[in-house]
Amino acid sequence: MAAQNKIVNNPNLKIAVGALLCEGCEVIGDVTIGARTIIHPKARIIAEAGPISIGEYNIIEELVTITNKSSTDANSGKVLIIGNNNVFEVGAYVEAVRIGDHNVIECKARVGSKVEISNGSIIGTGCVLNMSEQLPDNTVIYGEKCERRTQRERPPTQTLQIEFLTKILPNYHYLVKPNMQPRPTATTTAPAVKK
Amino acid sequence: MATFMSIDLIKYLCNCGKKCPICRMYLCKHCLKLRCIDCVQHEVDSPYCPSCLESMPVSEAKLKKNRCINCFDCPLCGHTLMTRATSQVSPNPDDPSKAVTRKMYYMACGFCRWSTRDVNLPDQNVATGNWPVMENPNAKRISNLLENYKLIAQVEKAERERKKYVKRRSHLYLQEKYNMSPAIVKRKGMASFSSLSLKEGDKTPDDLDQSETVSSFDPLPTEFFTKPAALDKITKLTHRFMLPEFQPDETSKLHPVRKHLLMRKSLRCSECEHNLSKADFNPNSIKFKIQLTALHWIPEVRIMTPSTFNLNKETVVTLTLSNPSVFNTTVTLSQIENETDTDYCTAKVELPKKEIVLASRDEASMHVYEESTATHDFKDDPKLIAFRKGNKVGFIVKVTPVVKDSDVKICFLLKHEFRNTTVAALQSESKEPEIVWLEHKVYLCLGTV
Repeated sequence: MAAQNKIVNNPNLKIAVGALLCEGCEVIGDVTIGARTIIHPKARIIAEAGPISIGEYNIIEELVTITNKSSTDANSGKVLIIGNNNVFEVGAYVEAVRIGDHNVIECKARVGSKVEISNGSIIGTGCVLNMSEQLPDNTVIYGEKCERRTQRERPPTQTLQIEFLTKILPNYHYLVKPNMQPRPTATTTAPAVKK
Repeated sequence: MATFMSIDLIKYLCNCGKKCPICRMYLCKHCLKLRCIDCVQHEVDSPYCPSCLESMPVSEAKLKKNRCINCFDCPLCGHTLMTRATSQVSPNPDDPSKAVTRKMYYMACGFCRWSTRDVNLPDQNVATGNWPVMENPNAKRISNLLENYKLIAQVEKAERERKKYVKRRSHLYLQEKYNMSPAIVKRKGMASFSSLSLKEGDKTPDDLDQSETVSSFDPLPTEFFTKPAALDKITKLTHRFMLPEFQPDETSKLHPVRKHLLMRKSLRCSECEHNLSKADFNPNSIKFKIQLTALHWIPEVRIMTPSTFNLNKETVVTLTLSNPSVFNTTVTLSQIENETDTDYCTAKVELPKKEIVLASRDEASMHVYEESTATHDFKDDPKLIAFRKGNKVGFIVKVTPVVKDSDVKICFLLKHEFRNTTVAALQSESKEPEIVWLEHKVYLCLGTV
């Protein structure tokens, strides 16, 4: 119940219509969640040093922690913007400066607070990124030694999985009610959401 | 788990003179001797693919160069590649206005996300078995060389045989050499040589192209110095060694690696040639037809708890013995007389003088945890026996380290009853299995002074 109250009492939480935010998540601070984004229970989204804005069609799985830490002074107060079509797998820990579109952060991966992830990247299971860096597009980081390579195509979108989850999750979890109409820029998906 | 993990502490002496942990040893039931992994004969049962578990005879595996046809490894990280299906829309050949969706397959690595599309390999329309085989650029040369060496080996063998023969019947050999008597040519033993000598004319070991010595190399291209290094486009040494026949230097030239076959092997006693370990024929099965690992037959000694040792001071150490057999087993421990390996022991040890009876191993009661079942009919001296639990017994030895600044090492002779159930079953079914006394030298490393 405590976690549930945390969400209900959070006046700065904005959930777009069509997003699924399960109760039992911890959402603290100024957080915006875009349409069709799915957040599993037990995820933690903590806007500590600045707001967090999550785009559309993202999947955030259980035990994922997304924190706006803003380690350097230059960054403090900045918005942590997470783009569209990203997947955060179970137990991922993200403090990044910015995350673009179509990225996959695999299980138990750690993305440090000075890292900027652009588009189509995959941070492999258990990989740790601490350095201050900007990942180029379509980077794959994998293995024990965090080896890197560039892939030709970005990872496929998880539309089927999102569709499945939007059907199945409401059957087993209480959801937090959306309180924000989608922005006019996101009208392409809006009609489908309304039914 | 200590049996398999801390394998350096307790070792049994093998018949070949090596000290081995008991989990790596075998007991030959016919010569009743311990055999370690180095003194048994290893035999190849059948090669099989670890991914699709297809097994094949050795000759077929040799033809396939010991690689699986259908399974591939990722050339970057070595994981097994998965086949993925996609649907592709292509125009109908009969009616260009209509589109046909076809299933196309490509392979991708689930770990590093490498895929055959990364290197522009075209998708396949069947799921398995249609991937192009890359031709080894040196295949012709290699087969030429192989053929030649086979020929040379044959000639040499024939020559050796001939020498043997010449001593006895030189005239026969001469006749044959000049091909005078075809009847004799067909004689057994000489046939191989003579047929060879006839063929030799068309192909001699000499008509092979000499390999050329490379004396000069092209200088490094100037791009090497002028352009920034693109490390992500260049393969690493491990990637090149994975494909020794091509050794691609750019990531764009990588190709799926055919999966190496593994061997199912069986072990044989080197003396009596009886099987010690033989796996089930089917690679899917994890069962054994014959498994004579020493752990199943010989009481296992283990150290109960770590203790602290002081120089020239007696310390009480609890060791445990567990009985793998379904019979009560009597064990005696004694000092090793005429110890040859005097370097090993660094401590004096006082062993229990009485014999210890180990309770039988009862598979069913082992999984029921109940204190009341721990009562036994054994009359134990509490000074010697620390505890009993199931088939395990804890006994006390007194250790006095005598060498300064070294590990405390002791050794003793473990003598135990052994009921040879297999041999008894062969002789007669009613008779009780024969009791044999087996002796093993056990070496323990207890800790540091």
